[in-house]
Amino acid sequence: MAKKPQIAAETRPWRDPSAKPFVKIRDVTKKFGDVQAVNHVSLDIYKGELFCLLGGSGSGKSTLLRMLAGFEAPTAGTIEIDGQDMTGVAPYNRPVNMMFQSYALFPHMSVKQNIAYGLKRDHLPKAEIGDRVAELLSLVKLQDYGKRRPHQLSGGQRQRVALARALAKRPKLLLLDEPLGALDKKLREETQFELVKIQETLGVTFIVVTHDQEEAMSLATRIGVMNQGEIAMIGEPTEVYEFPNSRFVAGFIGSVNMFEGVVTEDEADHVRIRSAEAGCDIFVDHGVDCAPDQVLWYAIRPEKITLHRERPEGDANITRGMVEDIAYLGDMSVFQIMLGSGKRIRVTKANSLRGDPDGIKWDEEVYVQWNGGSGSVLTV
Amino acid sequence: MTGEALPLPHRRPWTKLERGLLAMGLSGKALVIFAPALWLTVFFLVPLAVVFGISLSIKQFGRPPYSDLLTVGEDGTVQLTLHLSNFLRLFSDNLYVSAYLNSIKVAAISTVLALFIAYPMAYFIARSSDRWRNILLMLVILPFWTSFLLRVYALSGFMRGNGVINNLLGVFGIEPLVMLQTDFAVYVGIVYTYLPFMILPLYTTLVKLDASLLEASADLGARPLRTFLTITLPLSAPGIIAGSMLVFIPAIGEFVIPSLLGGPGTLMIGRVLWDEFFSNTNWPRAAAVAIAMLVVVVVPIMLMQRAQSAVVERR
Repeated sequence: MAKKPQIAAETRPWRDPSAKPFVKIRDVTKKFGDVQAVNHVSLDIYKGELFCLLGGSGSGKSTLLRMLAGFEAPTAGTIEIDGQDMTGVAPYNRPVNMMFQSYALFPHMSVKQNIAYGLKRDHLPKAEIGDRVAELLSLVKLQDYGKRRPHQLSGGQRQRVALARALAKRPKLLLLDEPLGALDKKLREETQFELVKIQETLGVTFIVVTHDQEEAMSLATRIGVMNQGEIAMIGEPTEVYEFPNSRFVAGFIGSVNMFEGVVTEDEADHVRIRSAEAGCDIFVDHGVDCAPDQVLWYAIRPEKITLHRERPEGDANITRGMVEDIAYLGDMSVFQIMLGSGKRIRVTKANSLRGDPDGIKWDEEVYVQWNGGSGSVLTV
Repeated sequence: MTGEALPLPHRRPWTKLERGLLAMGLSGKALVIFAPALWLTVFFLVPLAVVFGISLSIKQFGRPPYSDLLTVGEDGTVQLTLHLSNFLRLFSDNLYVSAYLNSIKVAAISTVLALFIAYPMAYFIARSSDRWRNILLMLVILPFWTSFLLRVYALSGFMRGNGVINNLLGVFGIEPLVMLQTDFAVYVGIVYTYLPFMILPLYTTLVKLDASLLEASADLGARPLRTFLTITLPLSAPGIIAGSMLVFIPAIGEFVIPSLLGGPGTLMIGRVLWDEFFSNTNWPRAAAVAIAMLVVVVVPIMLMQRAQSAVVERR
């Protein structure tokens, strides 16, 4: 689910140091009693972005979203939206709308009345409200459901009503709290596409909170990974996945094999790490900011590792193990390999051959290999 | 083994009994309903029928102090005498009509007052933290631990000419107020007594109210008052209806509060009934008043129940 190329290439305002951010979060802290829910978070989000706040439960992502909506006041720090300081501005005065995780549709109102609710608060003329509601209903493909009440709709339909209601006032910024959380897998995948399409057509800035890394990867222009109230990493989906900045980020997004090791060679164009866990030397084909004898970690994704029956050429990034388990997932197989050191690693292999008769089987002794450029060296 | 599945050992000691009862057309469900049905028949329907019967007789001296409906003549004829005079009298005598109207008025005003006092209280309790919520609910129910009669007497002690309130006012040099034996005292008594019945159903609907609905309303640009009027109030309608029923219905027939706190001008149907029964020993008239009151009460119950089911259906 890659972004359309023209969007990916030209519009990356976060790469332009002179670009003015649309949402400026500066050193925001939120305490509930003694609990530090959000801890000195600073974040810039640009116009037209689809920014995902990704984190586990209790990471502070929802609290941050609620502070943007105005339901919680920061204990310290400031939030600026479109150049306006939001301190002390009530939710009903903010140019922001939110789509709630539970959808929060008004049960005593029809779909139309739900969508018209925000427009009525702006005292728009009746005819204009009617036109706008019809427009939104067709946007979310619910033209024939206007008179229904929320309890007469399916989960997916409710989700779309909630989206239409949140978009009704043409907010500059739309906050979405786990927008796809309550949908089943199939529906979620369809809705993901639709959400991105709607966001691109309307050009509204979206901030999405999710705990689902797959959802974040497929939706977002950028991801902010949160951990214990702090932003662990901000980056485009590929950056966050391929170049994680810490062991937490590497482990939180996708699955990863982690080897602890000691730097033995630290040159400008390569690094060599001795790892007892891996059972071999790890060669990194680029310079890394580290010192000789430093203890650090090497993270490598399961799909970047290959298995061989014969020992491949080379003096590094090759180790031996035994196939302990194979999980067949249809499109790919996941191998669990027990290395000589006793460490277990995961290796995935695409099943490009139908029922491969020569495939690696259980309990086979295999060589494990990866390229010098495919892993990440992590110091924290 | 013939390949036939063995029957499960489903024989229980009461299977035989159950089968026997089923043969007579009695299922387990019917048996469960039977006990309360019997109770209601013996202690509600039969007495109601007796009261209705008495209302169709006329007063006479002796024991019992009303005429028999069925009389057996000398030649063995059985005569059924139904006197409608008691009911006709209810319409022709102004006393009864105004007593009914006044009862409805007092009950309605008390209900509205109780609603206005109970709503903020219920709202506050529903919005407070878990720990406080239980304490506050306890405080609402606490007065029930004292006798109702005692509490009404205590109220009259507060509102007497030389009662607590007037003594307090006297300290500031304010002339004593006449509170006892007025309609005001009756309203105070009824609202005070029935307030918990209003608070509890309101609380149960308000505590279930999803806070995210209120946030969604604020998010869409509604100020707090608008949110209250368009979201909170309509969604608490079932509680408002239930609470109003629980206050209005007993307040119509209230006897103790108007007779202890009200004055001679406070004409309520409960007092009229009492007077007919004990002062005039006119049992048939009293029975007719009671039956008419039942009708007066049943009509609003039916209307409110219909309104409530309409509210529930809209969900």
